Amino acid sequence: MFGRNKLSPYVTENLSEDLIRLENLVKIYDTGAIKVLGLKKINLTIQRGEFVAIMGHSGSGKSTLMNILGCLDRPTLGHYYLDGIDTASLSSNELSAVRNLKIGFVFQSFNLISRTSALKNVELPMTYARISKRKRSERAMELLECVGLGKRAYHMPNELSGGQRQRVAIARALANEPPLILADEPTGNLDTAASIEIMEIFSELHKAGATVVVVTHEENIAAFTHRIIRFSDGQIVSDERNPNPTPGSGDVHTKGLYKNRATGAQRGQSKELEQAKDAGKGDNVC
Amino acid sequence: MLIENMIMAFHAIKANKMRSFLTMLGIIIGIGSVISIVSIGDTMRGLFSDLYKDVGITQAYISIGYWLDDIRQSDYFTLDDLERIKEVFGDEIAYIDADSATSSDVQAGRIKMKFNFSGIDYNYIDVQPVDIIYGRYLNKGDILGRRKNVVIKVESAEQLFGTENAVGKTFRTTIYGYTDEYTVVGVYKKEMNAFQALMMGGRSDTGSAYIPYTILTWPNDLNYYCHLFAAEGTDMNDFMSRLLTYIAKLKGRNASDYYTQTAVEQMGSVDGVMGALSSAVGGIAAISLLVGGIGIMNIMLVSVTERTREIGIRKALGAKTRDVLIQFLTESAILSASGGIIGVALAVSLVTVGGMALGLPVIIKPMVILLAVSFSAVVGIFFGIYPASKAAKADPIDALRYE
Repeated sequence: MFGRNKLSPYVTENLSEDLIRLENLVKIYDTGAIKVLGLKKINLTIQRGEFVAIMGHSGSGKSTLMNILGCLDRPTLGHYYLDGIDTASLSSNELSAVRNLKIGFVFQSFNLISRTSALKNVELPMTYARISKRKRSERAMELLECVGLGKRAYHMPNELSGGQRQRVAIARALANEPPLILADEPTGNLDTAASIEIMEIFSELHKAGATVVVVTHEENIAAFTHRIIRFSDGQIVSDERNPNPTPGSGDVHTKGLYKNRATGAQRGQSKELEQAKDAGKGDNVC
Repeated sequence: MLIENMIMAFHAIKANKMRSFLTMLGIIIGIGSVISIVSIGDTMRGLFSDLYKDVGITQAYISIGYWLDDIRQSDYFTLDDLERIKEVFGDEIAYIDADSATSSDVQAGRIKMKFNFSGIDYNYIDVQPVDIIYGRYLNKGDILGRRKNVVIKVESAEQLFGTENAVGKTFRTTIYGYTDEYTVVGVYKKEMNAFQALMMGGRSDTGSAYIPYTILTWPNDLNYYCHLFAAEGTDMNDFMSRLLTYIAKLKGRNASDYYTQTAVEQMGSVDGVMGALSSAVGGIAAISLLVGGIGIMNIMLVSVTERTREIGIRKALGAKTRDVLIQFLTESAILSASGGIIGVALAVSLVTVGGMALGLPVIIKPMVILLAVSFSAVVGIFFGIYPASKAAKADPIDALRYE
């Protein structure tokens, strides 16, 4: 049922519950002289709507996994199905399209484009999805208001605090309403207060139906999530439910930030995305 | 998307103002010099064509070939020959004479000076217009009666008589050994065109005067030249070949034995030389465009390296290879085209100011400007290809890790 249309796999509808499925995933770094085994036969399934932390020390393979999950890198062996699409068979341009529509990235160092306003930064994924200028600036403004930065829309990244920058990055990650939010040490460069704020936003997103995967090495950050996967030496050493996730303070308002994707069929292509967005205005959970 | 890219490119160029300007400088100088040189060339050609219009575009000289060994007395033109030619070709010939001219010392009172005398017919004014400011032109009576009347140039009148209005004044001169008293019947003024003014600079010390040609062609009625103006709008090639055929028959020669000079021919050769010259110099100037292009490539490579992280972010957010390629190509094209536009502005103002200072009518063809600006954009795109493709091919992971 998937991969029939190889050129635009992200158009296919997928009702599978598994958003991420890794089968015997191996990553080997070939540096010429020596071969380094980055990941050793990983099998992992993450379902739609889960809130997962991936933990491990540096060199444990979690960053490698993150790159593969983010379609920035390809596995050496095995399969990675994202939303039912076998990413191994995709060209680099197709991977770009997958990243654009299926994945929202939040990085440790924010990775906002400098000398470009917060609004333009949030618009960027929509620009690459070929969404009309008017619609994307409307949506970007809406997203910035949701993360409490409506008044800072025209500020440059260097005029914002770390926490504010990360909130812009979250708004940007949500621009195309991707099913998967991938956060790589999202609080690594933030103070405790800002870290908690960011994690509360992720909690709210999770409640709204988003699948959130957070890579971290801090226990108190992982404590917000509902499932903790620990990595060591390129292998999964434990995979446990978190019975008592840290509750949000309730101070964070994310109304309209994320629309419930868990129930509806996937809306992949940008045109469909726009139509769906127009039609489903009342679909907001928060 | 294109407009989006252009806005992005402008922001990127603005972000490094000094660097962008220095990069553009190569293109500015290149385009500026190409346009200046081409415009100067066009202006010179315009001046030459004005000059030839002034000289008379239908003017022609015919003479027996100087390369012949057996030139006979009968090869020279007599006034009868000219009369016959005029009869045969009728209205096709606007004016004909033997191009008789001489120079001689003249004396009026105590003042002595050299004069050039041109022997003309009464209707020479029709083909070489001058303003008669005092008195009259030579008339039929002067010519047929071989009257010793002259029409002199206003500057010469001033020099010889100390007054512009020299009508009625007389001077003595010796022409072909006969010393006589000549009377000024008219004073003419001829506006010099820009080119003549440029070449002559100021005034000449030699006087100029028109004299009845009958004085200069008598009694030795053997003339080297047949000098004529065809009627306006005549096809000179066709006319000249028919004329030569007739003259050859009249004189018992081959048409190829005659040497001809026409204004059209000369203009063509001057035009050719000027054209070749300006394209050669323009070509050399175009090399500076190449150098400017290499400068753009260099700075784009620096820019791509500096912005490796930005490229990584864009790719992570879904930019395809083509998106990144077009972004950087747009940037280099805009960088180069902006240089081109500044170069055009600089060249146009330079050439215009220079033209105004010299009092020349400047010719700047809009086509040249259009071509120059599009060419500079093409240079930008061409030299942007390598840096842009380097950016587009960057691996997102490496690019994101770049510090």
